[in-house]
Amino acid sequence: MPDLFAQLGPIGASFLAFATTVGLGMLIISFFLTVFRLVRGPSLADRVLSLDFLFTLGMTFIAIFIVATGRTVYLDIAIALGLVGFLATVAYARFVYRRWRKKESESD
Amino acid sequence: MIDLIAGIFVLSGATFCLIAAIGMVRFPDLYVRMHAATKAGTLGVGLALMAVVVFGAVSGDLGTVLRALAALLFVLLTAPIGAHLLARAAYATGVEMWHKSEVDDLRGKYDFSRDVLIGDGGATDEASEDRS
Amino acid sequence: MKAFALNIVVALVWASTIGPFTPGNVLAGFLIGYFVLWLLRKQLKTRYTSRAFQMLKLILLFLYELWLSAFRVAIDVLSPRMTFRPGIVGLPLASDDDVQITVLANLITLTPGTLSMDVSTDKSVLYVHAMRADDPEGLKQSIKSGFEAQIKEALD
Repeated sequence: MPDLFAQLGPIGASFLAFATTVGLGMLIISFFLTVFRLVRGPSLADRVLSLDFLFTLGMTFIAIFIVATGRTVYLDIAIALGLVGFLATVAYARFVYRRWRKKESESD
Repeated sequence: MIDLIAGIFVLSGATFCLIAAIGMVRFPDLYVRMHAATKAGTLGVGLALMAVVVFGAVSGDLGTVLRALAALLFVLLTAPIGAHLLARAAYATGVEMWHKSEVDDLRGKYDFSRDVLIGDGGATDEASEDRS
Repeated sequence: MKAFALNIVVALVWASTIGPFTPGNVLAGFLIGYFVLWLLRKQLKTRYTSRAFQMLKLILLFLYELWLSAFRVAIDVLSPRMTFRPGIVGLPLASDDDVQITVLANLITLTPGTLSMDVSTDKSVLYVHAMRADDPEGLKQSIKSGFEAQIKEALD
């Protein structure tokens, strides 16, 4: 695996290749841990938080991938990912909050 | 030298993301988990984007530097807003706090007959006098 | 605001007259324009330079606090026993200006151990979730003397 990144890396330095390889490895572990929380729950808000954090992890993954391979076009995907993640969280939060407020004010 | 800086950014960013993910699994309730995801997670993605900034500066690609800085700014601006909205929605849907939680100043503060959130509960006397 | 626009214009003029139009030259022009505006602050009757400096200080403080808070969370995550006692604390707000409250709430979310949750309708209390809520009074004091004062200086 390390020689793959050394081959792809435009700077070609061994430390950077090492750092990106280890970094991507750590992110894969993070993905699994977050997916565990996503499956486990227990509440819907926990799952939304996990999804939101998965978007953050995706952005980090792309950033490290860019440094490893030099394909800077992927940066646009990272920005779009951040946008979509934020909008998803906001949409969920507003939806839940409004529904709950309506229900509570009817029951009062 | 530049490789070293970029490599350190990459490694520290990934480390903070991993710590945030461990926190997501270990922490006892949603609100505490949110601390891990927003703080450590934001710093993690920020450091990784800084690595891209350094990388773009080295290869003389101004567009990459600017886009990475824009992404960084975007993350720093949206992370607290998303966390705030999600925390409020979670409290609204009745997500339980950890049983070892000390205080809950927010309990019973929502008044739906008037559609307001009462504020004077946590205020000091001096502050509420200023307002009246 | 006018002084800021003037500063930008000075930066652009500097960069286009002095030589190649590069980011470094624009930055140099901006710094020179800032220095000139600082020299002329009495004549132009502008508080722009001092306020821009306060703003920069606020941004640096924010980055420093983000760094610190991530470290605190990391220590909490990695320590084998969970010793923190979380809770929701109501912080009294000194200002009822929407911009200031927004900035304060966002800063609080990314600082050590606190996460803003909601603002009361009369804008008098900001409810925050704190990682360590065993000393609510100390928490209120530290926010009041730290962030709230700095934001007031920069934005008032």
